[in-house]
Amino acid sequence: MPVKIVTDSVADIPPEVIDELDISVIPVLLRFGEETFRDGVDINNDQFYERLATSKTMPTTAVPSLDMFARTYARLAEETDEILVIMLSSKLTGCYNAALQSANLMEGECRIEVVDSLSAVMAEGFVVIKAAQAAKEGAKLDEIMEIVRRNLPRVDIQAAFTTLEFLKRGGRIGLAQALMGSILKINPIITLKDGLVKPAGRARSREKAIERLCRFAASYSNIEEMAVEEAACPDDADLLVKRLSTIFPEERIYRTRTTPVIGTHTGPGLLVVSVLGDK
Amino acid sequence: MSKVNDIAGQVLRDMFSAATTWLEKSSADIDALNVFPVPDGDTGTNMMLTMRSTMEEAYRAPDNSASGVAHAMAKGALMGARGNSGVILSQVWRGLAQGLDGKESFNTRDMAEALQKSAEVAYNGVSNPVEGTMLTVMKDAAKEAQAQVEQGEEDIIVLLDAVVTAAGDSVARTPRLLKVLKDAGVVDAGGQGIYTIMEGALRFLKGETEAMRLRKPQIIVSDLPLTLPLPQVAGVDEVPFGYCTEFLIKGEKMEPDDIKKRLERKGESLIVVGDDSAVRVHIHTLEPGNIIHFATKLGTLHQVSIRNMDEQHQDFLEMQKERMPATDTAVVAIASGDGLVEVFGSLGAAAVVPGGQTMNPSTKDILQVVQSVPSENIIILPNNKNIILTAEQVQSLTEKKIKVVPTKTIPQGVVALLAFDYETDFKANVDIMEKALPSVKTIEVTKSVRATRINGLKIKRRQPIGLLDDELIAAGNTDLDVISKILGKLDMKQAEVVTIYYGEDITAEEAENIDTSITEQYSNLQVELIKGNQPHYSYILSIE
Repeated sequence: MPVKIVTDSVADIPPEVIDELDISVIPVLLRFGEETFRDGVDINNDQFYERLATSKTMPTTAVPSLDMFARTYARLAEETDEILVIMLSSKLTGCYNAALQSANLMEGECRIEVVDSLSAVMAEGFVVIKAAQAAKEGAKLDEIMEIVRRNLPRVDIQAAFTTLEFLKRGGRIGLAQALMGSILKINPIITLKDGLVKPAGRARSREKAIERLCRFAASYSNIEEMAVEEAACPDDADLLVKRLSTIFPEERIYRTRTTPVIGTHTGPGLLVVSVLGDK
Repeated sequence: MSKVNDIAGQVLRDMFSAATTWLEKSSADIDALNVFPVPDGDTGTNMMLTMRSTMEEAYRAPDNSASGVAHAMAKGALMGARGNSGVILSQVWRGLAQGLDGKESFNTRDMAEALQKSAEVAYNGVSNPVEGTMLTVMKDAAKEAQAQVEQGEEDIIVLLDAVVTAAGDSVARTPRLLKVLKDAGVVDAGGQGIYTIMEGALRFLKGETEAMRLRKPQIIVSDLPLTLPLPQVAGVDEVPFGYCTEFLIKGEKMEPDDIKKRLERKGESLIVVGDDSAVRVHIHTLEPGNIIHFATKLGTLHQVSIRNMDEQHQDFLEMQKERMPATDTAVVAIASGDGLVEVFGSLGAAAVVPGGQTMNPSTKDILQVVQSVPSENIIILPNNKNIILTAEQVQSLTEKKIKVVPTKTIPQGVVALLAFDYETDFKANVDIMEKALPSVKTIEVTKSVRATRINGLKIKRRQPIGLLDDELIAAGNTDLDVISKILGKLDMKQAEVVTIYYGEDITAEEAENIDTSITEQYSNLQVELIKGNQPHYSYILSIE
């Protein structure tokens, strides 16, 4: 009985990888006023940005209910005795807590381990994929936990924003507040460190922001995985992928769009590079 | 969602009990908002402890009417109030109890009145009310409640929802009202506490108890630029803060107003609240002994606390260091003109030393600022070729590690600062900043101080002249003429952004004309116009 891997919709793992590696994804909830959507299930990227442009109320996000986790655990428990749940940073959302509490409700039926990735988007996704690959090859839960522990410190991320307004409004800005209030127009660059949003730098133009993201990726001497994600700025992402192809094979770069949940907190124009590697 | 038209004592208890748990989750975050020179550095903890005492008493109340519970809460708050914020919070409950007096339950109208009363009583408790604190937040919240009632709102949830939003907005505005908050880039801690309590109560009424268990209250972020103040001029004596002295007097026939008058000149931040049988006192004083001595004559003293605020201040400074973005390196820039100073501040310079063309700062001036910045590694941006050498002398006078990135102009200083990478170390940052310098061209426009011949140009006195990267290469009839001549010599196809900083002698209209002219001629460029207010130079242009 292979170990089953569970993650959240924010890990941004491409659908074909989800199918191939049999990963269970718990959708984070998205609200426009009274209407609730399951991220990626009831609403996709195009629908989201269309609504964002026309809706009077700004969207908010919410932790999936304990029930959503419990039902997934129960379904998987019919096929396995070991489940590994990898969640996005507990310092940014209550998802990890919800996953943990629902796991406690399942006491005895199945061994469930919940890991706080202290990360998000594909940086989180890389670790989930590693875990799922190991599970597919027949590794036991303890071995997979070890793989996860080894790889979590190897993921890194930098993201260029056009505005920090959304991050601020969602209460996730953290120390990146230092990048706000600039008198000159700037493109803020942020990172995630120890699960929290931190400032990385400022760029005067979009072009310079893309340069900086390249410099960030190039600071890794050994890159195992790389991803470029965007929220409603595909052309910039294409340009970035092209630039990055000088340091990493283009066909191996995951080129995806962030989920609407991320879009809610970053606004359009987000450009993210995630790497799994060593400096 | 179901409507709630009316709330009785039991729900009043439960909603604020839920609010207390909600507040508890964020008390450490609220503590971290405290700013110098507010010496009670634990607002979140104090409000949380005050709320606990408030609710313990509320559950002891034999009377389940709204009035009974509110009065019990007021009593519990007074008995257990901690710190400045706790005492003011106790007045909020006292006001609420007065507003709900004799009521079995309350509707939106009663609630608006009670909130109004809360705000009033809270203001009265403080001898020198300061705006931009929890007092302002209470006032704004009460005002919104009143507005909702005037619109005929009967659903308490809808009313409270609007009140919470108004309180949040009010908290976000606190830095505009209180300079210490603006300087520290945070919102008022007490205001945040009040907001969190109201938000917790609202979430409870909405039935979001599960979400409350999983989530944490949000700290409101101010949207003001995080500009650091100019360092203080040396020679300012450090005034000791003294002792934060707090106690509860139990006695008979006491008169809080009278006690307040007697203590008014004995210290700062005085708050005296209570009734004839219990009075709580909070004061910052250099002589706590005298205060205690006076109080013992009035009744018995309880919960006496005397804390050394200078010690607290030291702890606070340590905590501030931890809150700084994760970098051990600070950048000190040299600039004159308040607009330019703000530009550097808003881009993350730790401090700006006043100085520039014809007013070069001394090594000592720079040293003083370097010493005042709480980092061990300092990068100095001289922004003028005549200041580079002076800046380089600073290293021999300090234990701190100093590197001078030899910026010769303001635009060079700005690109260097923009290149700063929070994720890398001191040495690497110096390297990155130096490498960024060639990416910018600087045009400076000024007026010739005398007639001269230079670089093949014949220049009259007071004629506009232009420098490209510190070299005089153009003269003209107008500033625009000079700028156009120099831009014509540059390869503008390579450029992306032009920033125009206009000087103190230039009007906004004149500057806008230059902006329009450049925008028309080079339509592919992003042009930004900034009031630099620099002396001597009518315009400084940065071409990136």
